[in-house]
Amino acid sequence: MSDFTQTPIPAASCVLISGGSRGLGLSLVEDALKQGAKVATFARTVTPELEKLAADRPGEVFVGSVDITDAKAQTAFIKAAAAELGPIDALVNNAAIGQDSMLLHTSPERIGQIIETNLTATLVLTRAFLRHAMAKAGRGRVVFVTSVCGQRGYAGLSAYSATKGGLDAAMRTLAREMHGRFLVNSVAPGFFASEMSSVLGTEQLSTITRRTPSGRLVEPENIAPVVRSLLFEDTNLNGQSLTIDGGGSI
Amino acid sequence: MSALSRDQIRTMMDEVLTAQGKELPADDSTALAEIGFRSLDFSELALRVEDELDEELNFDAPGLRSIETVGDVLDLLDRLQNA
Repeated sequence: MSDFTQTPIPAASCVLISGGSRGLGLSLVEDALKQGAKVATFARTVTPELEKLAADRPGEVFVGSVDITDAKAQTAFIKAAAAELGPIDALVNNAAIGQDSMLLHTSPERIGQIIETNLTATLVLTRAFLRHAMAKAGRGRVVFVTSVCGQRGYAGLSAYSATKGGLDAAMRTLAREMHGRFLVNSVAPGFFASEMSSVLGTEQLSTITRRTPSGRLVEPENIAPVVRSLLFEDTNLNGQSLTIDGGGSI
Repeated sequence: MSALSRDQIRTMMDEVLTAQGKELPADDSTALAEIGFRSLDFSELALRVEDELDEELNFDAPGLRSIETVGDVLDLLDRLQNA
């Protein structure tokens, strides 16, 4: 007798990627499309790059302007995307906001905003996805984009780090909770040249680079292959946080 | 949408099991353990019912632990959508 718990979870066929308008998110959108998957993605502001992708690939790409902290908008987006693309069976939680301030000088409102966006809204989106995928596909895959900050200390990123560490913890719980139905993992990038890492400043980035055994900062192109394997390969990786930082944190 | 009938829910339960290569027996007294219907299978069924009703069914873990047979599943979902 076959059983969900005894057969590999299939490769993703339709992936929801939060925050896919630029940077790493856009790279992940393009990479999932290259694997033959359909992609639904949203961001607060839809960029011209995303608009072009949607125009060039009708029926394969669905984009929308959604604030991730708006739970009703999230649910409506999933419903609309599934009506266009079919059942969504994978989620990449990529959307996040950064921080550039010592906790001493970060307002309670800003702390709340970071936690609301990076942690609460991400968990609410994951819940909405799981409810959709359980009802429509029964099985699937979830990838959280967390950060090496959730594991190691970096000045100026305390609230941000708390959210990323929290997501890693939730990821492990979900991997067990969704027993046999979903593969749930995280990728934890080190610092790469992006708007988010720019908060560190040239000197701190230079120090991180010097201390990284591979001798260079991580690029979005380094993250995409790992996310790809978590979405499309039969790795049987589950409940793991994969740190991609050139060895900088070892 | 109005509540789903017991037969409609039974059909959905059959779909959940069929997707796993399993069969739903005709006898409602059949134990869930005997047919391999697990807690996440109940979640999937409940979500399918919710999808049809377009509203959430709220239930707690103790309520879920008390279901032992096919009939228990149908009874619980019947009660939940009429609660």
